[in-house]
Amino acid sequence: MNADSGHRKGEIAELKSQLRQLAGSRAPGVEEVKRELYKKVISYMTIGIDVSSLFSEMVMCSATSDLVVKKMCYLYVGNYAKVHPDLALLTINFLQRDCQDDDPMIRGLALRSLCSLRVMNFVEYLVGSLRKGLKDNNGYVRQVAAMGVLKLYHIAPTACIENDFVATLKSMLSQDPDAQVVANCLCALEEILVLERTNSDRANKDREMLHSKQIVFSLLNRIKDFSEWAQCLVLDMVSKYIPVDPNETFDIMNLLEDRLQHSNSAVVLATIKVFLQLTISMADVHQQVYERIKAPLLTLISSGSPELSYAVLSHLHLLVMRAPILFSSDYKHFYCRYSDPSYVKKLKIEMLTAVASESNMYEIVTELSEYAANVDVGITREAIRAVGKIALNLCDVNAIVDRLLQFLEMERDYVTAETLVLVKDLVRKYPEWSHDCIAVVGNVSSKSIQEPKAKAALIWMLGEYSHDMLDAPYVLESFVDNWLEEDSPEVRLELLTAAAKIFFKRPPESQKLLGAALAAAVDDPDQDVHDKGLFYYRLLQQGVQTAESIVNPPKKAVSDFADIQNSEMRDRIFDEFNSLSVIYREPSYMFLDKEHRKLYEFSDEAAPTDVLPTQKLDANDNDLLLGAFDKEESQSGVSNGDDGPLSAPRSPSPTLLGDSVPPVSASNIPAAFGIDDLLGLNISTPPPPPPSLVLSSKPVLDSGTFQKKWSQLPVALSFEHPISAQSLKTTQPLLRHMQEKSVQCMASGGQSPTFKFFFFAQKADGMPGTGFFLVECLVHTSAGKASVKVKSEDSTFTAAFSDLFKSALSSFII
Amino acid sequence: MIQCLFLLSDAGDVILEKQWMGKRVERSICSWFWRQRSEKEDQDPPSVIASPTHYLLHIVREGVTFLACTASEMPPLLGIEFLCKVASVLENYLGGLNEDILKDNFVIVYEILDEMMDSGFPSTTEPSVLKEIIAPPNLVSRVLSVVTGTSSSLNAASPLATSSQVSWRASNVKHSNNEIYFDLVEEMDAVFNRDGFVVKCEAYGEIQATSRLSGMPELSLTFANTDILHDVNFHPCVRYRAWEADQMLSFIPPDGAFKLMSYRVKGLKNPPLFVRPQLSSGEGICRVNVLVGLRGDPGKPVDAIIVQLPWPPSVVSTNLSASVGTVTYSFSTKVSTWIIGRIPKDKSPCLSGTLQLEPGINRLEEFPTFLVGFKIQGTAVSGLKVDKMDIRNVEYRPYKGFRAVTRAASYEIRT
Repeated sequence: MNADSGHRKGEIAELKSQLRQLAGSRAPGVEEVKRELYKKVISYMTIGIDVSSLFSEMVMCSATSDLVVKKMCYLYVGNYAKVHPDLALLTINFLQRDCQDDDPMIRGLALRSLCSLRVMNFVEYLVGSLRKGLKDNNGYVRQVAAMGVLKLYHIAPTACIENDFVATLKSMLSQDPDAQVVANCLCALEEILVLERTNSDRANKDREMLHSKQIVFSLLNRIKDFSEWAQCLVLDMVSKYIPVDPNETFDIMNLLEDRLQHSNSAVVLATIKVFLQLTISMADVHQQVYERIKAPLLTLISSGSPELSYAVLSHLHLLVMRAPILFSSDYKHFYCRYSDPSYVKKLKIEMLTAVASESNMYEIVTELSEYAANVDVGITREAIRAVGKIALNLCDVNAIVDRLLQFLEMERDYVTAETLVLVKDLVRKYPEWSHDCIAVVGNVSSKSIQEPKAKAALIWMLGEYSHDMLDAPYVLESFVDNWLEEDSPEVRLELLTAAAKIFFKRPPESQKLLGAALAAAVDDPDQDVHDKGLFYYRLLQQGVQTAESIVNPPKKAVSDFADIQNSEMRDRIFDEFNSLSVIYREPSYMFLDKEHRKLYEFSDEAAPTDVLPTQKLDANDNDLLLGAFDKEESQSGVSNGDDGPLSAPRSPSPTLLGDSVPPVSASNIPAAFGIDDLLGLNISTPPPPPPSLVLSSKPVLDSGTFQKKWSQLPVALSFEHPISAQSLKTTQPLLRHMQEKSVQCMASGGQSPTFKFFFFAQKADGMPGTGFFLVECLVHTSAGKASVKVKSEDSTFTAAFSDLFKSALSSFII
Repeated sequence: MIQCLFLLSDAGDVILEKQWMGKRVERSICSWFWRQRSEKEDQDPPSVIASPTHYLLHIVREGVTFLACTASEMPPLLGIEFLCKVASVLENYLGGLNEDILKDNFVIVYEILDEMMDSGFPSTTEPSVLKEIIAPPNLVSRVLSVVTGTSSSLNAASPLATSSQVSWRASNVKHSNNEIYFDLVEEMDAVFNRDGFVVKCEAYGEIQATSRLSGMPELSLTFANTDILHDVNFHPCVRYRAWEADQMLSFIPPDGAFKLMSYRVKGLKNPPLFVRPQLSSGEGICRVNVLVGLRGDPGKPVDAIIVQLPWPPSVVSTNLSASVGTVTYSFSTKVSTWIIGRIPKDKSPCLSGTLQLEPGINRLEEFPTFLVGFKIQGTAVSGLKVDKMDIRNVEYRPYKGFRAVTRAASYEIRT
């Protein structure tokens, strides 16, 4: 290794001296030598060797008429200028000279390189060259210059705005004869105006003008002059345009209809987005749009490369889930190919499930049953679940029940497990089928089932249909005998219920069974199992009939199971058609393009390194961040009213409790607890002490996990709290203050008078990676109040944490 | 928008990187990406995934991974189509695509990438236009040999001064022999169930063209039977109105190879081959018997017939023999491959023998799916026929060539 790097150093030193000799030489053949040397330097750079030490030599040799050498030189300079801003100044001269070259190619290349240096001190040189470039008589140079304006904006927004480049781009947008120049102007303007709109009203007006009828139609009318990529840009702009009347909508759709036939799928998708957006409030036309866009989408998923077809398929998936009926005759397109990767098969199975209707159900279920025999276990499971879902959604389940029962006969453990869960749901919805199902389920060997969900399902059926299953008490008995080996509380809970139910129906055979189950449950380390055991015990004290009327009253068939796919969620993603989030099937992440982050940058002092380096959650586009989170709350707010999680400490719901409550010690409970003691024993458990909360001083949470948790957890509590922050100018003081209170900042942004913070804290005694509290805090300095939303992983402590947070806010004074 | 592009070798090493934005993306993202791949047992991850810091889009061509990174929302298809375009342009320029070729030519690769994208947005991607700005490698070497040190390289000045009226074609194309070829390529997707019934049968077609025509030729192409086409996609050069009005392809072609159109065929009823599998297992042995034959007459001989039989993991070894062709078995992948070639007139191909199952397993629990490959030269399975092709706006009479071929894309037999 050392020898190697020494060798390399020698080579670089030699390159250096060779380049020196060449500088200024006009000997014949010198260009050829230069080319070879440059190539060598570039190749070192490419494989990751630092050749920045050659900077001054490379610049000295830059006087050349050879275009390829020039390009290599630009490439080199672009790569290292940021590391050597002082030396980079040397390049300004030759780049500016090249910007005046007779050859438009060289003018363009030089200007592009100049704009790509991104060194603050160069801005004044840049402005002049850009201004000339925008007026160049050659289209290529103007293209480069238009994009150069955008680059300038990223380096020095003020310089860009003050020199009025936005106005120049605007006039070029409507006047330049070169379509690619127009496209680049559009690209630059869109980006600059979006970023600038928070700073100035003028940018807002400019942006309105950009999306005005006049501009939109002038671009639409010449759409075929644009390259396929520029067409995407124009189409994206059109999708934001709101037509004044239906006629305008139809005009646009007529102009764009043939774009659906374009060979570039990006153009097709962008066109579809326009169509969907334009007609979103015109129900009947919207439906026709679906019919129209179906064919091109189906062609794209079948004919393109696998990478493309997956991305298109994700979009099709979205449309199918939104309007399954419109695709019910196209179901064969969603049949899986043997060679499809499993993530594609999964999407297709979901679509098959969605489009299943009475007319195609038989074929679809037959097809899905084929996948159940697949070698890929994941796909097998998906297929079985899909069959079950179809059965639950459709009324005609005759054929499907047979299919499901056949799965049980396949004798593969995971197939049996998946199927049992479905059969359970099926008999809950269609009790009339219980007889057939139970006959088959009775043959399943309980020993072959390992998965908790499947075990629980089987036990539920044993309890519920014990009158139809002769050996039910004995099967349950063997489960109870193995109580201690059963790891899953879910199964133990189910077992307890089943033991009680069977006792009501066949008391003589199962009295012992229930006694054993109750004894085991009361001794159980799991709080829920323990509580349920006590509960049943006390119920039985009230009399067997009373207990039965509560534990096992006559049931009605379940008419509908809650839809797992949240329709609001789907709608939200639908707004983001033709975006990456469709492929994730999650709303847009708030990624940060770090280069725009200046405004919201954290300073390092805010995060002493011995605590936790404050995560730089990307907050560049503050609007995006606000927008996405706000939307989320409006959604989760629906399902979580204040009374739910708020009152949690008083009436804990089973899943929320988790391991926060210490197991009840066995000494509370008499050892010889059995059916004989059913009467006469009085067990009382002391009420749990109110939880006290200590926060960890060094919680660890990365931004990715934060985002994940944030999107998964419901808002547990939201409140407004006064804060004296009238003179808050940056986010730093509050960050530091909260840090002292063991509340860390994940991200912050905004400008006076409104700041936004994402905080997090962790319970001190919790397991690593658990017990987090996540907070969104909007501070309105002028109003002197903070709007706070708390999400909590441990609802027992939500209230305690909120109190803590409030007191921290109250003690903040600036 | 796309921030940067990495080209990765099949071992996951960075061959080359190109950054288009001021903010560089570190190479470490590539190792993150490669880990995703190795975690999934070298199965390629989906074409769009999110890393903790960036969205990653990628495609794989000839063993080279084209990996693009973006930190902001963007239309995903725009990114993937762009990567496809980069791959095809590079392949076209360099006459191939692999690690060595890329390493030998990285200067030209940089030049191309520099022109294809600016500030993260695709700019010039049309190969014929690119070739005017950047000389292909062989031309570079020629220039190198005559370089005098006084004149700029010959390709620099001229093209930009005279911009062409159509974006996909230069105005001054010249060929000594004028010729144009059309290849009608159709691929079949079919699924048969264990009783031999067709579960699904579809075909997709493409017309690939190679144009070497001088000047600005106006071409028109008509078909004898467009009614069989279900949905069509066109190269940007095709005028949609002419298609709508007269079902005619009217266009000025780009120079070189391009995909003129692609289409889907509706209601295909006659898959050319049948395969009848019979599997029966018990006592740790599975008996196999597979028959292959023609269904009806496709008009032209069916060639290169090959049947792949991927066995479930419980199969330990195979003992199979064929009446026609050869059978091989790969222990590592557990796939038997039966190469038949063309079906002889006097013999029907039959594969028979036994599979040994793992000890303790009595019968085959999974049902394998067989995959069939074949090729039919000289005919399009859909029956699509070119009627005539006219050329206007040029003086010469070019040589015109038409070919058709049908291939199996995904022809599956369930057992």
